[in-house]
Amino acid sequence: MPESIPATLVIDTLKDLFREARAAHAKEVAEPPLHSHLGWILSVPDTHQKTVLAALDKEESIRVVTCATEDEATAIGAGLYMGGEPVVLMIQHAGLYASINTLRGVAMDGRVPMFYMIGLLSREKDKDPRESRHSMVRYCEPLLDTFGVPHARLEGPNDVHLISEYYRLSRERRGPAAVLVGLETS
Amino acid sequence: MASGTATDTKPMKPEDVLRVIAAVRGRAICVPTMTTAPAWRSIAPDDLSVGCVGFMGGASSMGLGLALARPDRRVIVLDGDGSLLMQLGSLATNAGAAPRNFMHLLFKNGVYHTSGAQGIPGGLDVDFVMMAKGAGYRVVTMIDDLEDFKRRLPELLTADGPVFVELHTGLAEQTPMTARGGVAFPQQVENLRNALLKPRAR
Repeated sequence: MPESIPATLVIDTLKDLFREARAAHAKEVAEPPLHSHLGWILSVPDTHQKTVLAALDKEESIRVVTCATEDEATAIGAGLYMGGEPVVLMIQHAGLYASINTLRGVAMDGRVPMFYMIGLLSREKDKDPRESRHSMVRYCEPLLDTFGVPHARLEGPNDVHLISEYYRLSRERRGPAAVLVGLETS
Repeated sequence: MASGTATDTKPMKPEDVLRVIAAVRGRAICVPTMTTAPAWRSIAPDDLSVGCVGFMGGASSMGLGLALARPDRRVIVLDGDGSLLMQLGSLATNAGAAPRNFMHLLFKNGVYHTSGAQGIPGGLDVDFVMMAKGAGYRVVTMIDDLEDFKRRLPELLTADGPVFVELHTGLAEQTPMTARGGVAFPQQVENLRNALLKPRAR
């Protein structure tokens, strides 16, 4: 397993993803865009993705809204979606547990596309997450499986293509999808 | 009165308050929740509203997302006191994001009406005006009289937000439990999205 994922690689991937989403939107919608930036990140701070969040603070082409809870992030994401804006949520596994009812009510029952990047703090590099000695790590994938949320592991620079793939998947299936960030960004 | 604590004034009827809003909202997007939802869907049956039922406490957050996405329109959240308590931190998030087109109307009745009118923690003594002010809303006020609300609403609707108004109301005639039905949430989402984003002609 690599040591880390460069923050710049994640941010460039997000930019490409947002450009693609804006282009697709422009084909479908008649009115000109209301915003000049590429897209939105809704975050509740996550230790694993802290270097991405720090770099995003200086990134003018992506707007970041820091939320007090993951419930808020999911509901704000729904509002942005209804208004035609591309959005990605960056949270931690503990936040997924805390906000599962809102994920259910908004993204599943409401059929609102919602793409989550979920940091797996304390994920051991020499163990499968499902065998982690930390319950926060161990229960994450089974919880997503229980709710039928498609997910993939982001465990090195070669996996960043999964960000765009699972974002698109959330749009196609009109529901939640997630990538689990299994190691720290750098 | 500086704070939002209870008074001896007879509370406003929620349906009357909603009718006043419907009369002056124009093209504003509205986000009702819990006990404002059944009345709102009969008073304002259009595609510019989306209800928050099934994820209690999320109305103002969904409204915030809409306000950020659509700075060309006013967004009015029709929140409840029990609902807001479930996501109280949203006051800080809303104020921090600071959309100028965001209006947060809190229907304060002191109970969880939908689930059987159990008292909320703190009851009517909870001062949401102070909380919203402390969180950083640009305009914060309390209204406990319908004529006063009618008089002040047009100006509040054009004020730079985030605007927060604590409304002292009684119980609604219906709740989502006594008046089920209406357009399903996924269809409301689709209808509002289509209303906001006019598809390119094919």
